[in-house]
Amino acid sequence: MGFFDQDDIIQILKIVGESKIDELHLEMGDLKLITKKTSAAKIEEREPIPERPSEVAVQQEAETQEATPVPTAKIEEMQPVSEAEGEGLTPIKASLLGTFYRAPKPGAPPFVEEGQAVTEDDTVCIIEVMKLFNTTKAGVRGYIRKICAEDGQLVEFNQILFLVEEAADEEMSGEERV
Amino acid sequence: MSGISKVFVANRGEIAVRIMTACREMGIETVLGVSEADRDSFAARMADRVVCIGPAQPLQSYLRVETIITAALGTGADAIHPGYGFLAEQPELGEACANSGLIFIGPKPENIRKMGDKLVAREIVKELGVPVIPGSELVHDFEEALLMAEKVGFPVLLKAAAGGGGKGMKMVKRPDDLKTLFEEASAEARAAFGDDRIYIEHLISNARHIEVQILADRFGNIVHLFERDCSLQRRYQKMIEEAPSPAVSDDMREKICKAAVGIADHVKYENAGTIETVLDQDQGQFYFLEMNTRIQVEHPVTEMITGKDLVKEQIRIAGGEPISFAQEAIAMKGHAIECRINAELPEADFRPSPGGITDWRPPEGNGIRVDSHCYSGYFVPPYYDSLLAKLIVKGDDRFQATERMGSALAQFTVTGVDTTIPFYQSLMKNPDYLKGKINTRWVEEVFLKEY
Repeated sequence: MGFFDQDDIIQILKIVGESKIDELHLEMGDLKLITKKTSAAKIEEREPIPERPSEVAVQQEAETQEATPVPTAKIEEMQPVSEAEGEGLTPIKASLLGTFYRAPKPGAPPFVEEGQAVTEDDTVCIIEVMKLFNTTKAGVRGYIRKICAEDGQLVEFNQILFLVEEAADEEMSGEERV
Repeated sequence: MSGISKVFVANRGEIAVRIMTACREMGIETVLGVSEADRDSFAARMADRVVCIGPAQPLQSYLRVETIITAALGTGADAIHPGYGFLAEQPELGEACANSGLIFIGPKPENIRKMGDKLVAREIVKELGVPVIPGSELVHDFEEALLMAEKVGFPVLLKAAAGGGGKGMKMVKRPDDLKTLFEEASAEARAAFGDDRIYIEHLISNARHIEVQILADRFGNIVHLFERDCSLQRRYQKMIEEAPSPAVSDDMREKICKAAVGIADHVKYENAGTIETVLDQDQGQFYFLEMNTRIQVEHPVTEMITGKDLVKEQIRIAGGEPISFAQEAIAMKGHAIECRINAELPEADFRPSPGGITDWRPPEGNGIRVDSHCYSGYFVPPYYDSLLAKLIVKGDDRFQATERMGSALAQFTVTGVDTTIPFYQSLMKNPDYLKGKINTRWVEEVFLKEY
């Protein structure tokens, strides 16, 4: 079993994390990997939320001789945690690949600026795919803290477009809070 | 100098790697569109730039014409290579390219449209005096089908006009079975292609699948690169391809290749294409089957015996250059065999076996070529086809090629997923295969029963 390293496990977790699979049991030689997604981590279409780390249990059987030790703690440490979550911010991601526009038409004021308050249904940008304009809603309630994509540029599927500091209802004044 | 400087590759897996290798050698930059599942693929590491075009499901990523065009334009590519499968034979991609000022590395949309409809292709070919399998025009209902089937003679094959990949294809041995199977075939064709038009062909029971590789450019140059024999199939899926065919005489070769060039000329074809024929081994007669308007999975066997690079020629032709060699400069040398190594378990009816590859050690050596996107630690995603690698060998003659293939297969180590390697090892020892005494139904009717 010397062929299976931490990178491989991270790779598998990433694939599972991005797929619709809820639970995976994988046994290869001496390594047994069980990963489960918590129900909260299921991706909802309209409300992009940061990926939460999957619950991971790595069990290694005692007889392992040559195998690279894969301590459980280390694996947990290396789980994909988005930068945004690290800063306590929630990303708004591109739901499709296309050209990113901050304003409804050239010269018009942008939908949102940094510091602006948004609620779930507010339009934050347009993504154009061959003359088809797809509006993107904030999907979260809070303050735009960072605009991560450039106007008129190609954005990839799932690319982070904005970072939002989430705020509860009562905290929201509706005014800009820079 | 080619008019193409940056190619957007709209495919995945080994063919994406193959296309990018050709681009690199030509000094062309590459952009790869990947689904989420392919973000960390070997092809993605190789590309100069990678963009994520959508989720793992092909319908939301690799099959989206608008997304591919937007991604190509947004990354400054000037051409799109579709590979095989996915959008390769959708005329819409070529049309969208033309409307967006992009070059489509493949035939013109009208070439794809015309030859993609099997009934239209059959009519065109018939007019040229190339033999087509005895059979019918469109049949509209069961009564008409019965009449036609009796005229053509049982057993017959029901085929979908829009067909491909064995969908909507049924073998009918007796008149009694025709009604049920006709309805099944129509339903399958409707479900798969949204087109339930069916036609009937006489079934050639002792058949070989022989196809001719052609290249054509906008200056009217057309060359053929001889035939490939793809008779070793299971459920209409090719498993082994070789060149030249052990069943084709020099005389027959000249006829088939001449017919192929004639067809390409007649439809003013451009780029790489393949004319597929059925060879009736009992009658010694070949019949036109269909034309594939793309680079094919099995193109390496032709490259091995001719020394020509078909993907580079595709790019050159699309960039407006003439084919880089004349017919007289193409010669066959030696014998090449390709095995499609799939992540499948033959013992369980070839059940797909996705998952993590723990160890990947392909064979190396003189006369061995491996086209693959796999590596130790690669996770074979469950969303796409199960092709892991194409193992191609070349020998001075067929005997040496089969021996080399046997030894290359024995050197090929793959752990973590099931593969068809042991199946091919057993095939390379089979006396019927070694003598070349097979037909398109041999694997299912003979070999698998003993396996």
